[in-house]
Amino acid sequence: MNDIATPVAPTSPNIAASTEAPIMMRPTGELVLEARQLDFSYGKTQSLFGVDLPVERNRITALIGPSGCGKSTLLRALNRIYDMYPGQHATGRVLLNGEDILSDRGSISRLRARDGEVALNPSGLDTSALRARIGMVFQKPTPFPMSIYDNVAFGVRLHHRKSKAEMDVIVERSLKRAALWDEVKDKLSASGLGLSGGQQQRLCVARGIAVEPEVLLLDEPASALDPVSTAKLEATLMELKKDFTIVIVTHNLQQAARISDHTGFMFLGKMIEFRPTAELFERPQSPRTRDYVTGRFG
Amino acid sequence: MDRAFRRKLTNGVFVGACGLATIIALAALVLILWSLVKEGVGGIDGKIFTMTQPAPGSPGGLKNAITGSLMMCAAGMAIAVVVGILAGTWLAEYGGQTPYGHAVRFLNDVLLSAPSILIGLFVYEIMVAHLFGHFSGYAGALALALLAVPIVTRTTEDMLALQPNTLREAGMALGAGRGFVIRSIIWKAASAGLLTGGLLGFARISGETAPLLFTSLGNQFFSLDMAQPMASLPTTIFQFALSAYDDWRRLAWVGALLIAVAVLAVNTIGRLLARETHRP
Repeated sequence: MNDIATPVAPTSPNIAASTEAPIMMRPTGELVLEARQLDFSYGKTQSLFGVDLPVERNRITALIGPSGCGKSTLLRALNRIYDMYPGQHATGRVLLNGEDILSDRGSISRLRARDGEVALNPSGLDTSALRARIGMVFQKPTPFPMSIYDNVAFGVRLHHRKSKAEMDVIVERSLKRAALWDEVKDKLSASGLGLSGGQQQRLCVARGIAVEPEVLLLDEPASALDPVSTAKLEATLMELKKDFTIVIVTHNLQQAARISDHTGFMFLGKMIEFRPTAELFERPQSPRTRDYVTGRFG
Repeated sequence: MDRAFRRKLTNGVFVGACGLATIIALAALVLILWSLVKEGVGGIDGKIFTMTQPAPGSPGGLKNAITGSLMMCAAGMAIAVVVGILAGTWLAEYGGQTPYGHAVRFLNDVLLSAPSILIGLFVYEIMVAHLFGHFSGYAGALALALLAVPIVTRTTEDMLALQPNTLREAGMALGAGRGFVIRSIIWKAASAGLLTGGLLGFARISGETAPLLFTSLGNQFFSLDMAQPMASLPTTIFQFALSAYDDWRRLAWVGALLIAVAVLAVNTIGRLLARETHRP
Protein backbone atom coordinates (compact mmCIF):
# COMPACT_ATOMS: atom_id res chain seq x y z
CA MET A 1 0.00 0.00 0.00
CA ASN A 2 1.15 3.52 -0.74
CA ASP A 3 1.51 5.73 2.29
CA ILE A 4 1.80 8.92 0.31
CA ALA A 5 -1.51 10.43 -0.57
CA THR A 6 -0.82 10.83 -4.24
CA PRO A 7 -3.57 9.64 -6.52
CA VAL A 8 -2.09 6.91 -8.68
CA ALA A 9 -5.16 5.95 -10.63
CA PRO A 10 -6.31 8.58 -13.08
CA THR A 11 -9.31 10.54 -11.91
CA SER A 12 -11.33 9.49 -14.91
CA PRO A 13 -10.11 5.96 -15.35
CA ASN A 14 -12.65 4.72 -17.87
CA ILE A 15 -11.70 7.25 -20.47
CA ALA A 16 -8.00 6.86 -19.82
CA ALA A 17 -8.16 3.09 -19.97
CA SER A 18 -10.20 3.01 -23.12
CA THR A 19 -7.60 4.93 -25.12
CA GLU A 20 -5.03 2.26 -24.47
CA ALA A 21 -4.87 -0.78 -26.72
CA PRO A 22 -4.03 -3.98 -24.85
CA ILE A 23 -0.46 -5.16 -25.20
CA MET A 24 -0.78 -8.81 -26.18
CA MET A 25 1.98 -11.26 -26.88
CA ARG A 26 1.76 -13.49 -29.91
CA PRO A 27 0.91 -17.00 -28.73
CA THR A 28 3.66 -19.50 -29.44
CA GLY A 29 2.02 -22.75 -28.34
CA GLU A 30 -1.24 -24.51 -28.94
CA LEU A 31 -4.23 -22.66 -27.51
CA VAL A 32 -6.57 -24.76 -25.39
CA LEU A 33 -8.81 -22.02 -24.17
CA GLU A 34 -9.26 -18.58 -25.55
CA ALA A 35 -11.42 -15.61 -24.68
CA ARG A 36 -12.04 -13.17 -27.51
CA GLN A 37 -13.57 -9.75 -27.06
CA LEU A 38 -15.37 -10.97 -23.96
CA ASP A 39 -17.88 -8.65 -22.30
CA PHE A 40 -19.47 -9.58 -19.00
CA SER A 41 -22.29 -7.97 -17.05
CA TYR A 42 -23.69 -8.39 -13.60
CA GLY A 43 -27.20 -7.21 -14.35
CA LYS A 44 -26.78 -3.69 -15.68
CA THR A 45 -23.21 -3.30 -14.46
CA GLN A 46 -20.69 -4.21 -17.08
CA SER A 47 -17.48 -5.50 -15.59
CA LEU A 48 -15.49 -6.90 -18.51
CA PHE A 49 -14.86 -4.92 -21.64
CA GLY A 50 -13.63 -6.75 -24.74
CA VAL A 51 -11.15 -8.97 -22.93
CA ASP A 52 -8.81 -11.27 -24.87
CA LEU A 53 -7.12 -14.15 -23.12
CA PRO A 54 -5.09 -16.83 -24.88
CA VAL A 55 -4.40 -19.88 -22.73
CA GLU A 56 -1.66 -22.21 -23.96
CA ARG A 57 -1.61 -25.92 -23.33
CA ASN A 58 0.47 -27.18 -20.39
CA ARG A 59 1.27 -23.70 -19.23
CA ILE A 60 0.31 -21.80 -16.10
CA THR A 61 -1.42 -18.57 -16.98
CA ALA A 62 -1.72 -16.05 -14.15
CA LEU A 63 -4.18 -13.19 -13.95
CA ILE A 64 -3.17 -10.28 -11.76
CA GLY A 65 -4.62 -6.87 -11.04
CA PRO A 66 -6.12 -4.80 -8.26
CA SER A 67 -9.34 -5.90 -6.52
CA GLY A 68 -12.39 -5.47 -8.69
CA CYS A 69 -10.43 -5.45 -11.95
CA GLY A 70 -12.42 -8.40 -13.28
CA LYS A 71 -9.93 -11.24 -13.04
CA SER A 72 -12.25 -13.51 -11.04
CA THR A 73 -15.12 -12.55 -13.31
CA LEU A 74 -13.07 -13.56 -16.34
CA LEU A 75 -12.26 -16.89 -14.70
CA ARG A 76 -15.95 -17.50 -13.91
CA ALA A 77 -16.89 -16.82 -17.50
CA LEU A 78 -14.49 -19.50 -18.75
CA ASN A 79 -16.49 -22.41 -17.32
CA ARG A 80 -19.83 -20.61 -17.33
CA ILE A 81 -20.29 -21.03 -13.60
CA TYR A 82 -22.05 -17.65 -13.73
CA ASP A 83 -24.97 -19.50 -15.36
CA MET A 84 -26.13 -20.24 -11.82
CA TYR A 85 -27.07 -16.63 -11.30
CA PRO A 86 -29.87 -14.97 -13.20
CA GLY A 87 -28.90 -11.61 -14.60
CA GLN A 88 -25.24 -12.40 -15.20
CA HIS A 89 -24.26 -12.82 -18.79
CA ALA A 90 -21.30 -12.91 -21.08
CA THR A 91 -21.04 -11.94 -24.71
CA GLY A 92 -18.11 -12.41 -27.04
CA ARG A 93 -16.44 -15.73 -27.50
CA VAL A 94 -14.87 -18.31 -25.29
CA LEU A 95 -13.25 -21.03 -27.36
CA LEU A 96 -12.38 -24.40 -25.90
CA ASN A 97 -10.25 -26.18 -28.50
CA GLY A 98 -11.79 -23.88 -31.05
CA GLU A 99 -15.39 -24.61 -30.07
CA ASP A 100 -17.36 -21.60 -28.86
CA ILE A 101 -18.87 -22.36 -25.47
CA LEU A 102 -20.89 -19.12 -25.40
CA SER A 103 -22.35 -19.67 -28.85
CA ASP A 104 -25.85 -19.16 -30.16
CA ARG A 105 -26.45 -15.76 -28.70
CA GLY A 106 -29.52 -15.30 -30.83
CA SER A 107 -31.34 -17.94 -28.85
CA ILE A 108 -30.20 -16.32 -25.60
CA SER A 109 -31.99 -13.11 -26.44
CA ARG A 110 -35.02 -15.03 -27.66
CA LEU A 111 -35.24 -17.02 -24.45
CA ARG A 112 -34.61 -13.95 -22.37
CA ALA A 113 -37.46 -12.18 -24.11
CA ARG A 114 -39.73 -15.09 -23.33
CA ASP A 115 -38.65 -16.09 -19.83
CA GLY A 116 -37.13 -12.91 -18.44
CA GLU A 117 -33.81 -12.83 -16.62
CA VAL A 118 -33.61 -16.41 -15.53
CA ALA A 119 -30.65 -18.73 -15.57
CA LEU A 120 -30.66 -20.32 -18.97
CA ASN A 121 -28.66 -22.86 -20.78
CA PRO A 122 -29.32 -21.26 -24.10
CA SER A 123 -26.99 -22.85 -26.57
CA GLY A 124 -28.06 -26.37 -25.78
CA LEU A 125 -24.46 -26.77 -24.72
CA ASP A 126 -24.04 -29.45 -22.09
CA THR A 127 -22.60 -27.34 -19.26
CA SER A 128 -22.16 -30.50 -17.22
CA ALA A 129 -19.85 -31.99 -19.82
CA LEU A 130 -18.17 -28.61 -20.27
CA ARG A 131 -17.35 -28.41 -16.57
CA ALA A 132 -15.90 -31.88 -16.64
CA ARG A 133 -13.40 -30.47 -19.14
CA ILE A 134 -12.73 -27.27 -17.22
CA GLY A 135 -12.24 -27.78 -13.48
CA MET A 136 -12.33 -25.05 -10.87
CA VAL A 137 -10.85 -24.51 -7.41
CA PHE A 138 -12.09 -21.67 -5.26
CA GLN A 139 -10.57 -19.14 -2.90
CA LYS A 140 -11.86 -20.82 0.23
CA PRO A 141 -11.44 -24.58 0.41
CA THR A 142 -14.78 -26.23 -0.30
CA PRO A 143 -14.55 -29.87 0.76
CA PHE A 144 -17.91 -31.62 0.55
CA PRO A 145 -19.35 -33.01 3.80
CA MET A 146 -18.28 -36.55 3.02
CA SER A 147 -15.21 -38.74 3.23
CA ILE A 148 -11.91 -37.85 1.56
CA TYR A 149 -12.43 -40.76 -0.83
CA ASP A 150 -15.95 -39.69 -1.77
CA ASN A 151 -14.80 -36.10 -2.25
CA VAL A 152 -12.35 -37.19 -4.91
CA ALA A 153 -14.77 -39.70 -6.43
CA PHE A 154 -17.68 -37.24 -6.54
CA GLY A 155 -16.96 -35.72 -9.93
CA VAL A 156 -15.90 -39.01 -11.51
CA ARG A 157 -19.15 -40.67 -10.46
CA LEU A 158 -21.09 -37.89 -12.18
CA HIS A 159 -19.61 -38.67 -15.54
CA HIS A 160 -18.45 -42.29 -15.53
CA ARG A 161 -19.53 -45.59 -14.16
CA LYS A 162 -16.47 -47.14 -12.55
CA SER A 163 -15.88 -50.31 -10.60
CA LYS A 164 -14.63 -50.05 -7.05
CA ALA A 165 -11.15 -51.14 -8.15
CA GLU A 166 -11.03 -48.60 -10.98
CA MET A 167 -12.23 -45.87 -8.64
CA ASP A 168 -9.57 -46.80 -6.08
CA VAL A 169 -6.93 -46.26 -8.74
CA ILE A 170 -8.39 -42.92 -9.78
CA VAL A 171 -8.65 -41.68 -6.20
CA GLU A 172 -5.09 -42.71 -5.38
CA ARG A 173 -3.67 -41.21 -8.56
CA SER A 174 -5.54 -37.92 -8.08
CA LEU A 175 -4.47 -37.58 -4.46
CA LYS A 176 -0.86 -38.36 -5.42
CA ARG A 177 -0.89 -35.77 -8.18
CA ALA A 178 -2.28 -33.23 -5.72
CA ALA A 179 0.54 -34.17 -3.31
CA LEU A 180 -1.91 -35.17 -0.62
CA TRP A 181 -1.73 -38.96 -0.79
CA ASP A 182 0.96 -39.48 1.84
CA GLU A 183 -0.95 -37.38 4.35
CA VAL A 184 -4.34 -39.04 3.91
CA LYS A 185 -3.72 -42.57 2.61
CA ASP A 186 -4.51 -44.09 6.02
CA LYS A 187 -7.72 -42.15 6.56
CA LEU A 188 -9.51 -42.09 3.23
CA SER A 189 -12.83 -42.77 4.92
CA ALA A 190 -12.42 -39.84 7.34
CA SER A 191 -14.38 -36.67 6.65
CA GLY A 192 -12.78 -34.17 4.30
CA LEU A 193 -13.82 -31.45 6.73
CA GLY A 194 -11.27 -32.72 9.27
CA LEU A 195 -8.26 -31.76 7.15
CA SER A 196 -6.27 -28.55 7.61
CA GLY A 197 -6.96 -25.61 5.31
CA GLY A 198 -4.00 -26.38 3.07
CA GLN A 199 -4.89 -30.06 2.89
CA GLN A 200 -8.51 -29.18 2.13
CA GLN A 201 -7.38 -26.98 -0.74
CA ARG A 202 -5.21 -29.77 -2.17
CA LEU A 203 -8.18 -32.11 -1.72
CA CYS A 204 -10.20 -29.71 -3.87
CA VAL A 205 -7.42 -29.80 -6.46
CA ALA A 206 -7.45 -33.60 -6.36
CA ARG A 207 -11.24 -33.57 -6.76
CA GLY A 208 -10.92 -31.20 -9.70
CA ILE A 209 -8.29 -33.23 -11.55
CA ALA A 210 -9.90 -36.60 -10.85
CA VAL A 211 -12.26 -36.01 -13.79
CA GLU A 212 -9.22 -35.35 -16.02
CA PRO A 213 -10.17 -31.87 -17.15
CA GLU A 214 -8.15 -30.15 -19.84
CA VAL A 215 -8.02 -26.88 -17.96
CA LEU A 216 -7.96 -26.17 -14.25
CA LEU A 217 -9.15 -22.74 -13.12
CA LEU A 218 -7.99 -21.54 -9.71
CA ASP A 219 -9.44 -18.45 -8.07
CA GLU A 220 -6.92 -17.18 -5.52
CA PRO A 221 -6.42 -20.71 -4.22
CA ALA A 222 -3.71 -19.75 -1.74
CA SER A 223 -5.13 -16.58 -0.25
CA ALA A 224 -6.60 -18.44 2.73
CA LEU A 225 -3.46 -20.53 3.30
CA ASP A 226 -0.34 -20.07 5.39
CA PRO A 227 3.08 -19.81 3.68
CA VAL A 228 3.97 -23.49 4.12
CA SER A 229 0.67 -24.69 2.67
CA THR A 230 1.01 -22.11 -0.10
CA ALA A 231 4.46 -23.43 -1.02
CA LYS A 232 3.09 -26.98 -1.15
CA LEU A 233 0.18 -25.92 -3.31
CA GLU A 234 2.51 -24.04 -5.67
CA ALA A 235 4.80 -27.04 -5.98
CA THR A 236 1.71 -29.14 -6.76
CA LEU A 237 0.63 -26.76 -9.50
CA MET A 238 4.10 -26.73 -11.07
CA GLU A 239 3.95 -30.50 -11.18
CA LEU A 240 0.37 -30.53 -12.54
CA LYS A 241 1.12 -28.39 -15.55
CA LYS A 242 2.76 -31.41 -17.18
CA ASP A 243 -0.71 -32.91 -17.57
CA PHE A 244 -3.05 -29.97 -17.32
CA THR A 245 -3.42 -26.39 -18.39
CA ILE A 246 -3.78 -24.03 -15.48
CA VAL A 247 -5.27 -20.57 -15.17
CA ILE A 248 -4.75 -18.95 -11.78
CA VAL A 249 -6.08 -15.69 -10.40
CA THR A 250 -3.86 -14.29 -7.71
CA HIS A 251 -3.39 -11.19 -5.61
CA ASN A 252 0.10 -12.30 -4.82
CA LEU A 253 2.52 -10.93 -7.40
CA GLN A 254 5.40 -13.05 -6.16
CA GLN A 255 3.23 -16.10 -6.60
CA ALA A 256 2.45 -15.18 -10.20
CA ALA A 257 6.15 -14.53 -10.82
CA ARG A 258 7.17 -17.82 -9.20
CA ILE A 259 4.86 -20.25 -10.91
CA SER A 260 3.34 -18.83 -14.07
CA ASP A 261 4.54 -18.89 -17.64
CA HIS A 262 2.27 -16.14 -18.87
CA THR A 263 0.74 -13.30 -16.95
CA GLY A 264 -2.13 -11.04 -17.79
CA PHE A 265 -2.50 -7.73 -15.99
CA MET A 266 -6.06 -6.51 -15.79
CA PHE A 267 -7.37 -3.14 -14.79
CA LEU A 268 -10.95 -1.87 -14.61
CA GLY A 269 -12.37 -4.76 -16.59
CA LYS A 270 -9.79 -4.67 -19.36
CA MET A 271 -6.76 -6.68 -20.24
CA ILE A 272 -3.92 -4.17 -20.16
CA GLU A 273 -0.94 -6.37 -20.85
CA PHE A 274 -0.57 -10.08 -21.51
CA ARG A 275 2.97 -11.42 -21.91
CA PRO A 276 5.41 -14.04 -20.75
CA THR A 277 5.71 -13.66 -17.00
CA ALA A 278 9.39 -12.75 -16.83
CA GLU A 279 9.00 -10.06 -19.47
CA LEU A 280 5.89 -8.60 -17.88
CA PHE A 281 7.52 -8.30 -14.50
CA GLU A 282 10.95 -7.16 -15.69
CA ARG A 283 10.07 -5.00 -18.65
CA PRO A 284 6.42 -3.98 -18.38
CA GLN A 285 5.40 -1.97 -21.42
CA SER A 286 2.30 -0.29 -20.12
CA PRO A 287 2.91 2.40 -17.49
CA ARG A 288 -0.08 1.02 -15.60
CA THR A 289 1.43 -2.45 -15.46
CA ARG A 290 4.73 -0.96 -14.35
CA ASP A 291 3.03 0.93 -11.52
CA TYR A 292 1.28 -2.20 -10.36
CA VAL A 293 4.15 -4.68 -10.52
CA THR A 294 6.57 -2.26 -8.89
CA GLY A 295 4.11 -1.80 -6.03
CA ARG A 296 3.20 1.81 -6.67
CA PHE A 297 -0.45 0.94 -6.28
CA GLY A 298 -2.73 -2.02 -5.79
CA MET B 1 -16.57 9.10 36.50
CA ASP B 2 -13.82 7.77 34.29
CA ARG B 3 -14.56 5.79 31.21
CA ALA B 4 -13.17 2.46 32.31
CA PHE B 5 -15.34 2.48 35.41
CA ARG B 6 -18.43 3.43 33.46
CA ARG B 7 -17.79 0.61 31.04
CA LYS B 8 -17.30 -1.85 33.85
CA LEU B 9 -20.49 -0.65 35.52
CA THR B 10 -22.53 -0.95 32.32
CA ASN B 11 -21.08 -4.37 31.70
CA GLY B 12 -21.87 -5.46 35.25
CA VAL B 13 -25.46 -4.24 35.05
CA PHE B 14 -26.16 -6.07 31.81
CA VAL B 15 -24.39 -9.27 32.76
CA GLY B 16 -26.37 -9.19 36.01
CA ALA B 17 -29.65 -8.65 34.15
CA CYS B 18 -28.88 -11.52 31.79
CA GLY B 19 -28.04 -13.76 34.74
CA LEU B 20 -31.27 -12.82 36.48
CA ALA B 21 -33.35 -13.52 33.39
CA THR B 22 -31.64 -16.90 33.02
CA ILE B 23 -32.32 -17.77 36.63
CA ILE B 24 -36.00 -16.84 36.31
CA ALA B 25 -36.40 -18.95 33.16
CA LEU B 26 -34.52 -21.89 34.62
CA ALA B 27 -36.42 -21.65 37.91
CA ALA B 28 -39.73 -21.94 36.08
CA LEU B 29 -38.45 -24.97 34.17
CA VAL B 30 -37.06 -26.64 37.28
CA LEU B 31 -40.30 -26.02 39.20
CA ILE B 32 -42.38 -27.53 36.41
CA LEU B 33 -40.14 -30.56 36.13
CA TRP B 34 -40.00 -30.93 39.90
CA SER B 35 -43.75 -30.91 40.34
CA LEU B 36 -44.12 -33.35 37.42
CA VAL B 37 -41.64 -35.74 38.94
CA LYS B 38 -43.04 -35.35 42.46
CA GLU B 39 -46.62 -35.99 41.42
CA GLY B 40 -46.01 -38.37 38.54
CA VAL B 41 -43.16 -40.67 39.41
CA GLY B 42 -45.10 -42.45 42.15
CA GLY B 43 -47.78 -43.51 39.66
CA ILE B 44 -45.39 -45.18 37.21
CA ASP B 45 -45.67 -48.93 37.28
CA GLY B 46 -46.02 -51.76 34.76
CA LYS B 47 -49.76 -51.12 34.43
CA ILE B 48 -49.15 -47.75 32.79
CA PHE B 49 -47.81 -49.40 29.67
CA THR B 50 -49.86 -52.60 29.67
CA MET B 51 -53.41 -51.52 30.57
CA THR B 52 -55.79 -49.15 28.91
CA GLN B 53 -57.47 -46.29 30.70
CA PRO B 54 -59.69 -47.42 33.54
CA ALA B 55 -63.12 -46.53 34.75
CA PRO B 56 -62.85 -44.41 37.90
CA GLY B 57 -61.90 -46.57 40.87
CA SER B 58 -60.52 -49.54 38.94
CA PRO B 59 -56.89 -50.24 38.03
CA GLY B 60 -55.64 -49.15 34.62
CA GLY B 61 -52.91 -47.48 32.61
CA LEU B 62 -52.27 -45.30 29.59
CA LYS B 63 -51.47 -47.91 26.94
CA ASN B 64 -54.16 -46.69 24.54
CA ALA B 65 -53.13 -43.05 24.94
CA ILE B 66 -49.40 -43.74 24.56
CA THR B 67 -49.94 -45.85 21.44
CA GLY B 68 -52.29 -43.31 19.91
CA SER B 69 -49.92 -40.44 20.57
CA LEU B 70 -46.98 -42.29 19.08
CA MET B 71 -48.93 -43.28 15.97
CA MET B 72 -50.41 -39.86 15.30
CA CYS B 73 -47.14 -38.01 16.01
CA ALA B 74 -45.21 -40.40 13.76
CA ALA B 75 -47.73 -40.06 10.94
CA GLY B 76 -47.87 -36.30 11.41
CA MET B 77 -44.09 -35.98 11.36
CA ALA B 78 -43.82 -38.22 8.29
CA ILE B 79 -46.01 -35.76 6.41
CA ALA B 80 -44.40 -32.67 7.93
CA VAL B 81 -40.80 -33.71 7.23
CA VAL B 82 -41.47 -34.47 3.58
CA VAL B 83 -43.54 -31.34 2.92
CA GLY B 84 -41.44 -29.09 5.15
CA ILE B 85 -38.05 -30.08 3.77
CA LEU B 86 -39.24 -29.83 0.18
CA ALA B 87 -40.90 -26.46 0.81
CA GLY B 88 -37.90 -25.13 2.73
CA THR B 89 -35.55 -26.31 0.01
CA TRP B 90 -37.64 -24.62 -2.65
CA LEU B 91 -37.61 -21.37 -0.67
CA ALA B 92 -33.86 -21.47 -0.04
CA GLU B 93 -32.63 -22.76 -3.39
CA TYR B 94 -35.17 -21.95 -6.08
CA GLY B 95 -38.10 -19.61 -5.70
CA GLY B 96 -37.37 -17.78 -2.46
CA GLN B 97 -36.73 -14.41 -4.08
CA THR B 98 -39.68 -14.44 -6.46
CA PRO B 99 -42.95 -12.72 -5.50
CA TYR B 100 -44.54 -16.16 -5.14
CA GLY B 101 -41.68 -17.19 -2.87
CA HIS B 102 -42.17 -14.13 -0.69
CA ALA B 103 -45.88 -14.94 -0.44
CA VAL B 104 -45.18 -18.54 0.53
CA ARG B 105 -42.67 -17.46 3.19
CA PHE B 106 -45.12 -14.93 4.61
CA LEU B 107 -47.95 -17.45 4.78
CA ASN B 108 -45.63 -19.96 6.37
CA ASP B 109 -44.76 -17.42 9.06
CA VAL B 110 -48.45 -16.80 9.63
CA LEU B 111 -49.04 -20.54 9.99
CA LEU B 112 -46.11 -20.73 12.37
CA SER B 113 -47.95 -18.60 14.88
CA ALA B 114 -51.49 -19.71 14.10
CA PRO B 115 -53.39 -20.84 17.19
CA SER B 116 -53.39 -24.62 17.19
CA ILE B 117 -57.10 -24.78 17.97
CA LEU B 118 -57.79 -23.10 14.61
CA ILE B 119 -55.78 -25.78 12.87
CA GLY B 120 -57.90 -28.35 14.70
CA LEU B 121 -61.12 -26.68 13.58
CA PHE B 122 -59.87 -26.46 10.02
CA VAL B 123 -59.11 -30.17 9.86
CA TYR B 124 -62.40 -30.90 11.62
CA GLU B 125 -64.31 -29.07 8.89
CA ILE B 126 -62.55 -30.90 6.10
CA MET B 127 -61.95 -34.41 7.38
CA VAL B 128 -64.32 -34.96 10.26
CA ALA B 129 -67.36 -33.05 9.13
CA HIS B 130 -67.13 -33.85 5.42
CA LEU B 131 -64.58 -36.42 4.26
CA PHE B 132 -64.87 -39.14 6.90
CA GLY B 133 -67.99 -38.09 8.70
CA HIS B 134 -66.47 -39.07 12.04
CA PHE B 135 -63.44 -38.47 14.25
CA SER B 136 -60.29 -40.39 13.31
CA GLY B 137 -56.60 -40.83 13.96
CA TYR B 138 -55.89 -39.69 10.39
CA ALA B 139 -57.54 -36.37 11.08
CA GLY B 140 -55.46 -36.03 14.25
CA ALA B 141 -52.24 -36.83 12.37
CA LEU B 142 -53.11 -34.29 9.67
CA ALA B 143 -53.77 -31.57 12.26
CA LEU B 144 -50.43 -32.31 13.92
CA ALA B 145 -48.70 -32.31 10.52
CA LEU B 146 -50.13 -28.88 9.72
CA LEU B 147 -48.63 -27.62 12.96
CA ALA B 148 -45.20 -29.08 12.29
CA VAL B 149 -44.91 -28.21 8.58
CA PRO B 150 -44.21 -24.49 9.10
CA ILE B 151 -41.55 -25.25 11.72
CA VAL B 152 -39.76 -27.74 9.50
CA THR B 153 -40.09 -25.44 6.48
CA ARG B 154 -38.65 -22.50 8.34
CA THR B 155 -35.69 -24.31 9.86
CA THR B 156 -34.94 -26.03 6.56
CA GLU B 157 -34.84 -22.72 4.72
CA ASP B 158 -32.68 -21.10 7.40
CA MET B 159 -30.25 -24.00 7.56
CA LEU B 160 -29.86 -24.26 3.78
CA ALA B 161 -29.37 -20.51 3.51
CA LEU B 162 -26.46 -20.84 5.93
CA GLN B 163 -24.56 -23.09 3.53
CA PRO B 164 -21.97 -21.08 1.59
CA ASN B 165 -22.60 -20.45 -2.08
CA THR B 166 -19.10 -21.62 -2.91
CA LEU B 167 -20.17 -25.11 -1.86
CA ARG B 168 -22.92 -25.03 -4.50
CA GLU B 169 -20.52 -23.59 -7.05
CA ALA B 170 -17.93 -26.25 -6.24
CA GLY B 171 -20.47 -28.97 -6.92
CA MET B 172 -21.63 -27.39 -10.14
CA ALA B 173 -18.04 -26.72 -11.22
CA LEU B 174 -17.58 -30.49 -11.31
CA GLY B 175 -20.52 -30.78 -13.65
CA ALA B 176 -23.26 -31.70 -11.21
CA GLY B 177 -26.75 -30.35 -11.83
CA ARG B 178 -28.40 -28.03 -9.37
CA GLY B 179 -30.79 -30.61 -7.93
CA PHE B 180 -28.03 -33.14 -7.50
CA VAL B 181 -25.83 -30.61 -5.71
CA ILE B 182 -28.69 -29.84 -3.31
CA ARG B 183 -29.49 -33.48 -2.60
CA SER B 184 -25.99 -34.83 -2.28
CA ILE B 185 -24.04 -31.89 -0.87
CA ILE B 186 -26.21 -29.15 0.57
CA TRP B 187 -28.67 -31.39 2.44
CA LYS B 188 -25.75 -33.34 3.82
CA ALA B 189 -23.92 -30.22 4.94
CA ALA B 190 -27.09 -29.00 6.64
CA SER B 191 -28.16 -32.38 8.01
CA ALA B 192 -27.69 -31.44 11.67
CA GLY B 193 -29.84 -28.37 11.19
CA LEU B 194 -32.51 -30.28 9.29
CA LEU B 195 -32.63 -32.85 12.09
CA THR B 196 -33.00 -30.06 14.63
CA GLY B 197 -35.94 -28.72 12.64
CA GLY B 198 -37.62 -32.10 12.69
CA LEU B 199 -37.07 -32.45 16.43
CA LEU B 200 -38.41 -28.97 17.10
CA GLY B 201 -41.49 -29.89 15.13
CA PHE B 202 -41.88 -33.13 17.02
CA ALA B 203 -41.44 -31.38 20.36
CA ARG B 204 -44.09 -28.90 19.36
CA ILE B 205 -46.75 -31.41 18.34
CA SER B 206 -46.17 -34.09 20.95
CA GLY B 207 -47.83 -31.98 23.62
CA GLU B 208 -50.58 -30.46 21.50
CA THR B 209 -54.10 -30.98 22.84
CA ALA B 210 -56.36 -28.48 21.15
CA PRO B 211 -56.06 -29.72 17.57
CA LEU B 212 -56.68 -33.31 18.68
CA LEU B 213 -59.89 -32.52 20.55
CA PHE B 214 -61.68 -31.80 17.28
CA THR B 215 -60.01 -34.42 15.16
CA SER B 216 -58.99 -37.67 16.88
CA LEU B 217 -61.35 -37.01 19.80
CA GLY B 218 -59.96 -39.70 22.08
CA ASN B 219 -60.77 -43.33 22.63
CA GLN B 220 -61.01 -45.16 25.92
CA PHE B 221 -60.19 -48.47 24.26
CA PHE B 222 -56.98 -49.66 22.75
CA SER B 223 -57.00 -49.19 18.97
CA LEU B 224 -54.48 -49.34 16.16
CA ASP B 225 -57.00 -48.32 13.53
CA MET B 226 -56.24 -44.76 12.48
CA ALA B 227 -59.53 -44.55 10.63
CA GLN B 228 -61.27 -44.64 13.99
CA PRO B 229 -61.19 -42.17 16.89
CA MET B 230 -57.88 -42.46 18.65
CA ALA B 231 -56.67 -41.82 22.18
CA SER B 232 -53.69 -39.57 22.83
CA LEU B 233 -51.75 -38.54 25.90
CA PRO B 234 -52.58 -34.83 25.80
CA THR B 235 -56.33 -35.34 25.41
CA THR B 236 -56.31 -38.01 28.12
CA ILE B 237 -54.42 -35.68 30.44
CA PHE B 238 -56.92 -32.95 29.66
CA GLN B 239 -59.85 -35.24 30.44
CA PHE B 240 -58.36 -36.84 33.55
CA ALA B 241 -56.83 -33.73 35.10
CA LEU B 242 -60.21 -32.00 35.07
CA SER B 243 -61.99 -35.01 36.55
CA ALA B 244 -63.10 -35.42 40.15
CA TYR B 245 -61.38 -38.80 40.64
CA ASP B 246 -58.04 -39.05 42.42
CA ASP B 247 -56.81 -42.07 40.45
CA TRP B 248 -57.61 -40.36 37.13
CA ARG B 249 -55.77 -37.25 38.26
CA ARG B 250 -52.79 -39.40 39.24
CA LEU B 251 -52.76 -40.92 35.75
CA ALA B 252 -52.87 -37.40 34.29
CA TRP B 253 -49.68 -36.53 36.21
CA VAL B 254 -48.00 -39.69 34.96
CA GLY B 255 -49.00 -38.86 31.37
CA ALA B 256 -47.64 -35.34 31.72
CA LEU B 257 -44.37 -36.70 33.09
CA LEU B 258 -44.10 -39.17 30.20
CA ILE B 259 -44.54 -36.42 27.60
CA ALA B 260 -41.99 -34.19 29.31
CA VAL B 261 -39.43 -36.98 29.55
CA ALA B 262 -40.02 -38.02 25.94
CA VAL B 263 -39.55 -34.48 24.62
CA LEU B 264 -36.45 -34.04 26.75
CA ALA B 265 -35.02 -37.34 25.54
CA VAL B 266 -35.74 -36.60 21.89
CA ASN B 267 -34.09 -33.20 22.18
CA THR B 268 -31.04 -34.63 23.88
CA ILE B 269 -30.66 -37.41 21.32
CA GLY B 270 -31.01 -34.85 18.56
CA ARG B 271 -28.27 -32.69 20.07
CA LEU B 272 -25.95 -35.66 20.38
CA LEU B 273 -26.63 -36.75 16.81
CA ALA B 274 -26.09 -33.22 15.56
CA ARG B 275 -22.75 -33.08 17.37
CA GLU B 276 -21.80 -36.42 15.89
CA THR B 277 -22.49 -35.30 12.32
CA HIS B 278 -20.61 -32.06 12.89
CA ARG B 279 -17.53 -33.81 14.18
CA PRO B 280 -15.01 -34.08 11.40
